[in-house]
Amino acid sequence: MVSILVVDDEKIIRDGCVKILSKEGWAIQTASSGEEGLGLMKNGPFDLLLLDLKMPGLSGIDVLQQVKGLHPDLLVVVITGYATVESAVEAMKAGAYDFIPKPFTPDQLRIVVHRALEKKALQREAELLRREREKGLREIADEKSKIKTIIHSMADGVLVADHEGHVVLHNPAAVKMLKIRTSPVFGQPLEDCLESGCLVDLVSKIMQVSKEGSPAVSQEVLMGERALMAHIATVRNDEGEILGVVTVLRDISMLKAMDRMKSDFVAMVSHELRGPLASVEQQLSVVLAGIIGEINERQKEMLGRAKERTRALLTLINDLLDLSKIEAGFVVQQKEPTQITEVLEKVIELLRHEAELKNISLQLSFNEGLPQVMADRGNMEEVFINLVSNGIKYTSEGGSVKLWACIEGSYLCVEVSDNGIGISAEDLPRIFDKFYRVKNAQTRKITGTGLGLPIVKGIVEAHLGSIEVESQPGIGSKFRVYLPLELSGKEMI
Amino acid sequence: MGSQARILLVDDDPDFVEATKAILETKPFEVIVAYDGKEGLEKARRENPDVIILDVMMPPPDGYAVCSELKRDPRYKKIPILLLTAVMQALPHTLYTIEMGLRTEADDYIDKPVDPAELVRRVETLIAG
Repeated sequence: MVSILVVDDEKIIRDGCVKILSKEGWAIQTASSGEEGLGLMKNGPFDLLLLDLKMPGLSGIDVLQQVKGLHPDLLVVVITGYATVESAVEAMKAGAYDFIPKPFTPDQLRIVVHRALEKKALQREAELLRREREKGLREIADEKSKIKTIIHSMADGVLVADHEGHVVLHNPAAVKMLKIRTSPVFGQPLEDCLESGCLVDLVSKIMQVSKEGSPAVSQEVLMGERALMAHIATVRNDEGEILGVVTVLRDISMLKAMDRMKSDFVAMVSHELRGPLASVEQQLSVVLAGIIGEINERQKEMLGRAKERTRALLTLINDLLDLSKIEAGFVVQQKEPTQITEVLEKVIELLRHEAELKNISLQLSFNEGLPQVMADRGNMEEVFINLVSNGIKYTSEGGSVKLWACIEGSYLCVEVSDNGIGISAEDLPRIFDKFYRVKNAQTRKITGTGLGLPIVKGIVEAHLGSIEVESQPGIGSKFRVYLPLELSGKEMI
Repeated sequence: MGSQARILLVDDDPDFVEATKAILETKPFEVIVAYDGKEGLEKARRENPDVIILDVMMPPPDGYAVCSELKRDPRYKKIPILLLTAVMQALPHTLYTIEMGLRTEADDYIDKPVDPAELVRRVETLIAG
């Protein structure tokens, strides 16, 4: 409830005020002197003080001054007995909000008090807003320092460059990993801060590529003996303009070392397995061919199946070896200018027989005048043989596998699509995992090791490219391989 | 072929040797066997065979070493050598073929395990060549 204190030495004014203002539903207290009024104010907060200026003892001005000191928020309306403009002005200067000259009508009093209370409400609201704003600002400041603390305490390196390739943010981990020369280096071109040109090239490439809306890129970067995984993505504003590039770096040296040990192990085991298996199959072949004596149909059939099994095992081992070689960085990366369409033509030639057995048509189309890409020709053959041969395997008799090559942004894109059995949404994210094979009634009879696609992905990524897949069960699958085009110096930022 | 062709088969896996020997003996070939690189070199020099079938993966000296040693020697470099490699041709494993091309001067190579008919065909081609 609104509470009002009336301080006046004239009883008639006090009583009048109580009478008039109580009707408004406000709580009124009165005091007959300045001293009494100040005493009451100590006990409780008031919303409004009606203060007579001319009183015996403590004058209204004295009270006003004390009130302003003790209760700065309290609104004061002065009652000027012998109305003079000077006393009213003096009171206003001393901090009164308004004044009402004696004598006053009840309406005049009500108007003045209402106005004062409205002002009070507005003040309160303004105060609330101010506090909220302050809180907001504090929160932003907190948020900023929170983010800074988070970024600085990350074990992963963070490096942000603006659209001109100048460093605008980094954390201690990035400084350590990248051996950033000086610190702080904000505002300096990236290439001046880094010893390894590799990352600079990558960031430049990403910026270039991203103008056409390409996704983020993950790439291994070697820094001396350490291997870093760099995840690079562009930062855009609401309009989609590039503001800069953020690079998150993770030290994967340990992982790489473990991976290498695993690959060495796989290679060793594979060699040890392959010899005996080759031997077993050789012996089966000899018996099956009737070289060491006639065998009957049942024996032939069973030995034939045994041979199929050893062959599947040998394929698995070969794929394992292939994969361990790729992981060991042993891929023969003899990158040379390669016309991908020639590779595709050769792949089709190699797989024509396999396709004809299932009456599947193989079609290749491309735009004339596609540029060459820097690639290892053998690797590229392996990639597309895997993809096309998968297309043939997972497409029913009479279907088709189509190859299409074109330019997409700063990438050469090769699409291998089929109208086969497709891949379900659950299986789709896992098809590039090692040993993952889609298992259902339709795929049961299809042999494979679950290593073809991981090998494909490994090769494509070793070429700074990427692979995407789209598929719908019953309709078909579409694999897209993106290989970066060589950018001339001018196009680089 | 007037006289029986003499073939030296070098492989450290006795079971593989036995099976392969059986394949070759379906034809009028005389098969001499050696179970490691060293023995292979000795027998190549002593027997002067018409064709050598040489496994790549052996304890040293491995097939590559035996091959290059013989090919360096003017007395034996004319003997055709068929290398037995441990990779199948299910896919064109270019990684291996490039490696092979760089490392060997063999006349031909074939993946283990070998199809009996194919082995005979390759050997006959080498003898005729």
